[in-house]
Amino acid sequence: MIRQLFPSTCALALVAAAVLAGPARAEVTLRALMEDVPETAIIESLLPQFTEKTGIKVEFEKIGYGDMHDKLVLQLTSPESFYNLLSVDFLWAGEFPEAGWLEDLGPMARNSGMNLDGFIPAMWDLLGRDGDTIPIVPMYNYSMGLIYRTDLLGDQPLPDTLEGFIDLAVRMKAEKDVVGLAMQGQRGDPNSMEFSNFLFASGADYLDAEGNVVLDSDAGRKALGLYVRAMTEAAQQGALNANLDDTRRLMCAGEAFAMISYWWMLPALDNAADCPAVAGKLALAVVPGGHGESGGWGWGIPKNVSDEEKAAAWAFIEWVQSPEIVKARALAGHAPVQTAAFEDAEVLAKFPYYADAGKVVAAGKSFPIFTYTAQYEDVLGTQLSLAASGQATVEEALAAAAKGLADLMAQ
Amino acid sequence: MSALSRMSRTARTGWAFAAPGLSLLVIVMGFPLVFAVLMSLSSLTLRHFRLAPFKGFENFARVLGDPLFWEATWLTIRYSVVTVTGEFVIGLALALMLQKVARWRGVYFAILTIPMAMSPIAVALIWRMLLQPNLGIVNQTLRGLGFEGVDWFGDPGLALATMAAVDIWQQTSFVVLILAAGLASLPREPYEAAEVDGAGALQQFFYITLPMLRPVAAIVVVIQLINEFRTYDLPYVLTRGGPGNATEVLSYFAYRRAFLGLALNEGAAASWILLILVLALTVVFFRLVERHETSPGA
Repeated sequence: MIRQLFPSTCALALVAAAVLAGPARAEVTLRALMEDVPETAIIESLLPQFTEKTGIKVEFEKIGYGDMHDKLVLQLTSPESFYNLLSVDFLWAGEFPEAGWLEDLGPMARNSGMNLDGFIPAMWDLLGRDGDTIPIVPMYNYSMGLIYRTDLLGDQPLPDTLEGFIDLAVRMKAEKDVVGLAMQGQRGDPNSMEFSNFLFASGADYLDAEGNVVLDSDAGRKALGLYVRAMTEAAQQGALNANLDDTRRLMCAGEAFAMISYWWMLPALDNAADCPAVAGKLALAVVPGGHGESGGWGWGIPKNVSDEEKAAAWAFIEWVQSPEIVKARALAGHAPVQTAAFEDAEVLAKFPYYADAGKVVAAGKSFPIFTYTAQYEDVLGTQLSLAASGQATVEEALAAAAKGLADLMAQ
Repeated sequence: MSALSRMSRTARTGWAFAAPGLSLLVIVMGFPLVFAVLMSLSSLTLRHFRLAPFKGFENFARVLGDPLFWEATWLTIRYSVVTVTGEFVIGLALALMLQKVARWRGVYFAILTIPMAMSPIAVALIWRMLLQPNLGIVNQTLRGLGFEGVDWFGDPGLALATMAAVDIWQQTSFVVLILAAGLASLPREPYEAAEVDGAGALQQFFYITLPMLRPVAAIVVVIQLINEFRTYDLPYVLTRGGPGNATEVLSYFAYRRAFLGLALNEGAAASWILLILVLALTVVFFRLVERHETSPGA
């Protein structure tokens, strides 16, 4: 019996081994985990050009932001990363290089002659460039600004203080039968990013120039007070559990007066095909008060992939940030990180609001970037959520958030 | 004489057949459990990717010293009791109803298995859309009927209850299937005798059905308690533990320690505490059932 079964068992085992092993690695395929946002779609539409030019295939796995960090960390701590091209949020720009997961792209940039001076300097600062050491090359910026409905605002001017704007949003909700401010109050990244705008626009900050925690200040308390007021009097029902997708849908449906969001959300919303209720009725401005949250994504290459994959990944980064591709991306609604794209006449003719976007980017300030930034978003987000839901006072929540920041920075 | 040679031929054959399965169990369950113990006693974090130096029970002390851990533990106990009770009561009612159904029984069972066959992540995403406060179909329907929309997940007083309701919706089908199988296996004679004695439907249910169903019910309750204590998918997709800490269950607490705090060692310690808690509950529950079985009045 065994003798009869042996040959067929061996044959089955060989077939199984061949199937599991898959085809021999004849060519590199780049795999990147990308956030499912318009920018990714823009780059994805241009990928055939890269494959045609280099023969290298690129696969984007698109998921929501909230799941990205954990998936990437698991790959970066494994013996070999499945993702051989990385899209890295600025919030991880302290953690990933500090953990030693990223290749230094400085030598590759120098050898290939990439024009590093063409990038906006603030983007390099945001993504942790240290002289010749470049862990991350900027991809696109996501500075936050105010997107609002011009048809609802009418002739009245936009207030120039945050307090004035919250008053306006509360009035809009009471008088115009719309949500005054579509808010993303879900604990963690959504509410931490949103609150940062309130903080900066109120003249407060997380850290001073020396890196000391200064969050628990009069201006900070004023900012959190305004945030709680906006959440309770101007925001939509369910704002405490809402994320970016929820606010985008609300704005797109024409049910909100304004949202403080990433400026590149404007072209996605000002689109008659997808959002007919609001297309042509939207404008962008710096968050009243003068400063908003600044952010950006960059490209990285993991250390735990082969040299062949690293070379292919660099070829892609060089291509996707080249002037002609950046311009093609900008004409499709890209949020540039290179100065030339903001000044290109063809781009400005197509998207006049790029002039406002430039102001939003210039006015942006950064969330604290350090090894435990992702954890700090959770710490801060929890306190904001407690304050906004009435489970903690403004004073208690801000004191706890400041202590959490100091504790994590001391680790 | 070795132990192997002392074994009967039947026993040796039995072990031979069981060996592949047992080996697989050791690999897929034993190894992770042992490694989790090592992690919980080590310095392993996502920044310091080495076990050494070992820190004894320091990670356990850090977890146990966090007030949020106790908050999450109490919340997990409340959540588990509510969901398992809901699943059991609804599941038993449905199983009893299905017992009386003669036509289309297979169809009803097929429909009931749909939620059970779905991934919890998919279930959570579907319910997140349905219960979306502004554009979701549930609130739209309520508003259409003249009611106020409900802030299902944004209200700290309601978020946990809503999450429990979603959980009950998915998990009840499993309870129905097991209890229905248990009911089908009950002997007819006690019911016939009770009918001759003039016992009503309620008396038959409380004095015959429930006592005879106790072993099956105990197993269902224990399995569901274990499931509910481990709940992670629903808070992850529906609320991220918020608003505030209103839905932060123990599994999510362990996840936050491990992946947001980069402290795999503390995450492993929290997971082990969770495991010990579940094991203790299981033992206590079985002891209670056993005691009841052997007590004179049972």
